[in-house]
Amino acid sequence: MELLQVENLSFRYPKAEQNALEEIGFSVESGEFTLLCGPSGCGKTTLLRLLKKELAPVGEKSGQIIYQGAPQEALEDAGAIGFVQQNPESQIVTDKVWHELAFGLENMGVPTEVIRRRVGEMASFFGIQGWFRQKTDELSGGQKQLLNLASVMVMQPNLLILDEPTSQLDPIAAADFIATLQKINRELGLTILLAEHRLEEVFPIADRVLILEKGRILLDDDPRKIGPRLSELRPNHPMLHALPSAVRIWQGLNIAEPCPLTVREGRDFLERHFTSRAETLPTSEIPEAGETAVELKNVWFRYEKDLPDILRGVSLKVYRGEIFCVLGGNGVGKTTALNVIAGLDRAYRGKVLIGGKPIREYKGSALYRNNLALLPQNPQTVFVKDTVRADLSEILETMEIPKKERAARIQAVADRLGISDLLDRHPYDLSGGEQQKSALAKVLLSEPKILLLDEPTKGIDAFAKQNLREILRELKQDGITVILVTHDVEFAAEAADRCAFVFDGEILSADPPQKFFAENNFYTTAANRMARGLWKNAVTCEQVIACCRAAGGRQ
Amino acid sequence: MKKWISYGVLCLLVPAVVLCGALLFPAKQYAWISFCVALLSCLPVFLQFEHKKVSTKRLILIASMTALSVLGRILFTPIPGFKPVTAMVVITALYFGSEAGFLTGSLSAVISNFWFGQGPWTPFQMFSWGILGMIAGLLAGPLKRSRILLAIYGALSGVLYSVLMDVWTVLWADGFFNLSRYFAALASALPFTAIYAVSNVIFLLLLCKPIGKILERVQTKYAL
Amino acid sequence: MKAFANVHPAVSMTYFLSVLLVSMFLSHPVLQAEALLGGILFCATLQKRGAALRDIGFYLPLFLMVAVTNPLFSHNGVTPLFFLNGNPVTLEAFLYGISLAVMVIGVLLWCKAYSEIMTSDKFLYLFGKAIPKLSLVLSMALRFIPAYLRQSRRVSRAQKAMGLYAGKNITDRVKNRMRVFAAMVSWSLENAMETSASMKARGYGKKGRTNFSLFRFRSADGVLLGVCVLLLAVPLVGAVAGITEFTYYPRVDNIETTPAALAVYTAFGLLSLLPFILEVKEALVWNYYRSKI
Repeated sequence: MELLQVENLSFRYPKAEQNALEEIGFSVESGEFTLLCGPSGCGKTTLLRLLKKELAPVGEKSGQIIYQGAPQEALEDAGAIGFVQQNPESQIVTDKVWHELAFGLENMGVPTEVIRRRVGEMASFFGIQGWFRQKTDELSGGQKQLLNLASVMVMQPNLLILDEPTSQLDPIAAADFIATLQKINRELGLTILLAEHRLEEVFPIADRVLILEKGRILLDDDPRKIGPRLSELRPNHPMLHALPSAVRIWQGLNIAEPCPLTVREGRDFLERHFTSRAETLPTSEIPEAGETAVELKNVWFRYEKDLPDILRGVSLKVYRGEIFCVLGGNGVGKTTALNVIAGLDRAYRGKVLIGGKPIREYKGSALYRNNLALLPQNPQTVFVKDTVRADLSEILETMEIPKKERAARIQAVADRLGISDLLDRHPYDLSGGEQQKSALAKVLLSEPKILLLDEPTKGIDAFAKQNLREILRELKQDGITVILVTHDVEFAAEAADRCAFVFDGEILSADPPQKFFAENNFYTTAANRMARGLWKNAVTCEQVIACCRAAGGRQ
Repeated sequence: MKKWISYGVLCLLVPAVVLCGALLFPAKQYAWISFCVALLSCLPVFLQFEHKKVSTKRLILIASMTALSVLGRILFTPIPGFKPVTAMVVITALYFGSEAGFLTGSLSAVISNFWFGQGPWTPFQMFSWGILGMIAGLLAGPLKRSRILLAIYGALSGVLYSVLMDVWTVLWADGFFNLSRYFAALASALPFTAIYAVSNVIFLLLLCKPIGKILERVQTKYAL
Repeated sequence: MKAFANVHPAVSMTYFLSVLLVSMFLSHPVLQAEALLGGILFCATLQKRGAALRDIGFYLPLFLMVAVTNPLFSHNGVTPLFFLNGNPVTLEAFLYGISLAVMVIGVLLWCKAYSEIMTSDKFLYLFGKAIPKLSLVLSMALRFIPAYLRQSRRVSRAQKAMGLYAGKNITDRVKNRMRVFAAMVSWSLENAMETSASMKARGYGKKGRTNFSLFRFRSADGVLLGVCVLLLAVPLVGAVAGITEFTYYPRVDNIETTPAALAVYTAFGLLSLLPFILEVKEALVWNYYRSKI
């Protein structure tokens, strides 16, 4: 049965010159898991919000949205379509978990006894019992998003719409969240329409994929057919880089066989067609140990006297002009280590040397002048003014750069990062990727020699990631040392000169990515997990493809 | 209908409560009456807000402005008396009207006292901040136009706040309006009154424009 | 610990209002002494020892200050103790000062206990029915504040790590706080609009909204409520009958010891000791069961 039908839908925002959506037409079957993807700014959010009339943006709309055979406007029950947004934090309304779960039912006027039951039922389905009476503020990001999902599910929707729900979560929480969605779809038969840009886990479980491009539907097909059809239609489409590793490797090899989606399928596919002739790839050389930019010697840190240690004797050397990635799970001390290097937190034992000089000897803002800068996880914390330009100009002002020079400097950094046309916009009106580039611009204006980045790939799409990688390369060429903390193994494998693994407040290893990931069994890229039986240190999709080509097919 | 019942109850119940209290507590009847007046003067605004249709955005806007002024009170805890609460209440009133100003003021008092401690002073703080917001809303036109008037309003509201709060101190301590204690209380609170007035002026002059700009932007962006 | 915290909010609210009503507005020395004693014992059960010691350090000087300053403003009374700048300092004014101090400290302690027991969720539950919209506003504001605090800390650290106003002098600090505060306004309002979307998506704004809570009214709560109302009624009746009237000027009254007056003292004494009694009972019962195991 068709649950939702969209016919000829076009939409234009007030004062906009172009339609945000152009003649969209598709339908969703009851029980289907549909994935909607496309580069940021393609109209995903606009489309999803139009499907939920309470959230529909203001503007000119034409065409029809039919829900359960009747026009959308006739739908009375606000709970029938559940909607989960991107930011886990801002969707929570009340201060207690139990109250948040009950909020929707209260709005519907459901009596207390019924609420008690439904809330109890949902809490146990989602495994919320353990934190049922907690304050919503005390939850982790993953828990918050799960709570948002549960408090929509309590209203017993027929259709669940999710707008990039995992973009603000770390990979482990994101995978948990996606697994929960799969469970809801399988066990409750709920229809799901999900917009995502991280496709590795979602692609294999979707029944259908829609690709949106500039407000139009480019493709609407089975996930196995999306890859080949997309590369046929648009050989340079940015979405091609966002597809799961198995699909990308399969495409690079051009073998006439159904497209693999998961790591398992990808590994079977590789092993069917290739044998390894060389045990390993030649390892890229260990970068020459040049001048030391940052050094930690046996650093210990805890937040308060009575709290446990976060860092337990971290020692580390980062060389000038190196891109150094710090990897590790949640709460192992990655970000704390970065904050200690940035001088925001003080180690109570051990030495921190910046440019060979102990960090304590930098007085006032000397540490941050033309020396070291940190780009925090959330770029929104960087902006305090009402245009990007004003924010950029502020930092030059404190550096006492004469007024005449400021405009030229701002233009130079804007050109370099490709944000010239964003300068007069309000920072909050930009997309996640644009915000990050603007924040980076502000940080770069202080002309740092050492750049620290905290989770720079969080919440940005594949295209913006690629862009960031190129920017980091350029900075490296200028001799800037980059230390970045990330969860994103794929990004680290492609961008880093060296990777370090942090666990339990210590650095366990620090090696070039190929060596680093070859020695990990689980904590490694999807491409490596597929190919490691053949070429242990083929880490990125490109490397796997190159190995396969060099080895030649079995047949 | 329901609305009229609640107003009716109010009209009968409120005087009854005040009267009974005055009879029961002859020694402290003025303290009792002033307590009731402070608390009950908030009721009409609250009830009016409850009974009319309020958009979700406006509701949440008041919640945010309240949270922000409490945040200000917490952020500036190290400097006693130097708080942006009154300034935030006034700014809210200037851009979103008297009612929003009153609500932000009185709710800020209730909520910040969850952190700083509830007490018999809570209703007086509710009333004082509320009324300062309400008046600012009524004077929104001139206050927005002239920075001098804004500064004067800030200084006066610092003084008014002290004057109002001390009325309670005296009535509660002596059971009647003991003028010499009132002056003594005002005198001993003088340094604080000065800080209130100065901080209000500083915060209003520094924050009114940038925050006003932000509020105007949000108003247009989200069609408030 | 905190047997009283598990009582139904309606009961604990009634209880606090009763005690505060009497201790704030009936100025009889016996009742005030009882309120102070009850307040001290109640707060003692709510706190750790260290905090209690710190409290003594705060309340004792306050007590002395209130007690000593009264005779300086008030020269009523007929028994001068000595003269200061030509003004008499009277015994009556001195005693009134002490009673004032007892009242102020007593009320402060009860307010402290109130803040400890009447957490925001109980407060919201009680007012949720009468003022649903405002109680939702309160609930949201309470949820926003810790989030805003966290974000403002992040913003100020981010600014520091870019070398903006990283200095330690007072202008840099105040300037930095101001900038962070203004930035927080932007951030919070943008987020608030997402919250409003999430509310609308879950059907907020329809007629006939209900109020859900986890609190249950148990029979023990009913009993406690009855006891509380009964114990409050006695001093109120006493007030009507004029038993609780007590004047300090021009001459200090004698404390009445008629049976009616004793009944009033006993009733209010029990009322103000109620939480402490509950606490002790709970502890005894608990120990008894533990010893059985």
